[in-house]
Amino acid sequence: MTQKRKRPKSLYQRIKENTKIQTSATVILPVLLGVVIVVLWQTQTLHHLFRTDTFTLPLLDRIGSILFDNIDKIWENVVATMVVALAGLGLGSLLGYGIAMLAALCPKIGKGGLSVIGAFASIPVVALAPVMNNWTRDISDIASVRSMVAKILVVMLVAAANMGLNAYRGLTELKPYSMDLMATYAAKKRTTFLKLQLPNSVPYIFVALKVSVPASIMTAIVSEYFAEYIIGVGRQIRENIVLSQYSTAWAYIATACIMGVVSYVALMIVQSILLRKYH
Amino acid sequence: MSELQERGIEIQIRDLGVTFQDNAGHDVQALTGVNFDIYKGEFISLLGPSGCGKTTLLRTIADLQEPTEGTVRISGMTPKEIRLQQKFGFVFQQPVLFDWRTVKKNVELPLEIMYQSKEDRSKRADEMLEMVGLKNFSDHFPRQLSGGMQQRVNIARAFGIRPEILLMDEPFSALDEFTKEKLHEDLLRIWRQTNKTIVFVTHNIQEAVFLSDRICVLSPHPGRLSAIVDVDLPRPRTLEMKESPRFTELVYEVRGKFEGGSV
Repeated sequence: MTQKRKRPKSLYQRIKENTKIQTSATVILPVLLGVVIVVLWQTQTLHHLFRTDTFTLPLLDRIGSILFDNIDKIWENVVATMVVALAGLGLGSLLGYGIAMLAALCPKIGKGGLSVIGAFASIPVVALAPVMNNWTRDISDIASVRSMVAKILVVMLVAAANMGLNAYRGLTELKPYSMDLMATYAAKKRTTFLKLQLPNSVPYIFVALKVSVPASIMTAIVSEYFAEYIIGVGRQIRENIVLSQYSTAWAYIATACIMGVVSYVALMIVQSILLRKYH
Repeated sequence: MSELQERGIEIQIRDLGVTFQDNAGHDVQALTGVNFDIYKGEFISLLGPSGCGKTTLLRTIADLQEPTEGTVRISGMTPKEIRLQQKFGFVFQQPVLFDWRTVKKNVELPLEIMYQSKEDRSKRADEMLEMVGLKNFSDHFPRQLSGGMQQRVNIARAFGIRPEILLMDEPFSALDEFTKEKLHEDLLRIWRQTNKTIVFVTHNIQEAVFLSDRICVLSPHPGRLSAIVDVDLPRPRTLEMKESPRFTELVYEVRGKFEGGSV
C-alpha cells in the first residue's frame, strides 16, 4: 500500500498558520518600530534626515532628564489639564446622554437638540476657545477660575456632541420586535427605558468615550493656548516654544502623549470589565 | 369540535379590516372582512402565503396594530384592555432575547415588569426552563445558545407569565427540520399541561395540520379568510401521524382551500 506523502509546508505558511506567532507579532512589530525611531533619534540620523539640529529637536536623554528634573512642576500642569479634560468629558457626556434620551423619548423636542449639538461640534476648537474666553469674562473675579470655566465649556461641547449622537443610536437601534415585546407586557415607558434602551446603549457609550477621552485631552490642551490664566500642559508647550526652550517644550509634548495613552488604556480596562456581558 | 364549542368563545373577530399606507401614500388593504371566533383552550393556526395578512391579524389581536374597520373582542373586552392586564404571551419570529441578560434573567424579564418578588421570579423561571429542557443553561448568555435553544427560551419566557392567550408568529420558521419537530412536540406537551388558547401563525401546511385543532386559511391581495378547516386527528399527536393517510388527506384539503386552488 502506498501512502500519500504529506507535502512539507513552506516557512511562510507555517508562520501564517501559527496563532502564537501572530498574536506576538502584533506586539513585537510596533515595539520594534519604536526602537528603530529611538535609535534614529538618539544617533541624530533623524536630524540629518529632516535637516534640523539638537536645539530644535533635542535628544531623547535630554528630554528625559528635563522631565525628571521638573517632575513636580510638570505634575502640577498635568493635574490642571486633566481636571479640565475630565470635568469637560464628564459634564459633556452627561449633557449629551441627556439630549439623546430626550431625542429618543420625545423625538419632537429632542431631535432638534441633536442637530444643534452636532452643529456646535463642527466648529473648530481654535475658533470656540477664544469665544468662550470672552463669554466667561464676567463669571468670576479670579482669572484662574474663569479661565478654567472657559476651557471646560469647550471640552464639554466636544464631548456632548460625541456622546449625544452615539447614545441616540444606542437608545433607538434595538433588536427587531424588542419594542413590541415590551408593549405586549404593557411595560411603561420608564420600564422600557430602564430594562431595554439603557442597557442597549452601554456599548455605544463606550464607542463615544473611545473618541471622547483622547479628544477631551486634546481639546483641553488646545484651549489652554488661548486661555487667560497660564497653566496646563498645552500652555507650557506654547510658553516654552515662545521662549525657545525647546527641550522643555518637548518634555511637555512627551507628557501630553503619556496622558493620552494612559487615559485610553484606563478606558479600555474599564470597558473590558463592564462590557463582559455584551460580547 | 363540539367539545371545543362547549368551552365557549374567547376571541370574537367581526368584519375586521386593516389598511396601511405605503411609502407613496397609496392605501394597501392588508386584511378585509374577516369574521370568525376562537374558542377557549383551542390551538388555532392562521395559515397563508406571505402578504395574506396573517401576521397583521395576529398583531391586531395583540393590540400591536389598530384595526381600520371592525372589532376584536376578547372575553368581551378590547385587545388593549387585555394587553394592559398583561394576559398576552407573544412569541415573535425571532427570539428577541436581551444579550446582556442571562437565559434565566431573560425569562424573568416579564415577571420583573409585573413587579413579582425576587423569589417568585426565580422559582417560576426555573420551572419554565425545566419545562423546555434548558435547566442547565440558566446562567448562559443568549449568544452561547443555538437558534433552537434561543427559541425555547423565548417560549419559556412567554409561558412564564401564565398568559391567557398565547400568540405565536412563525416561531419555528427559521429552524431546521429536526429542531422544528422536537419543538412541535414540546409545544404540544406544554399546551396540554397549561390548557391555554394558542393562535399560531405559519406558512407551512404540514406544521399547521400537525399542531392545530382548526386552521384558518387566508388568501392574499387583499388578505382575507378563505376557509376554516377542522383537523380531526386524535390527540395527543405523535410524529407517526404525519405518515397516516388522514394527515395527507388533510394537507390536500387545506391546499385546495387557497383561492385559485394553488399557492
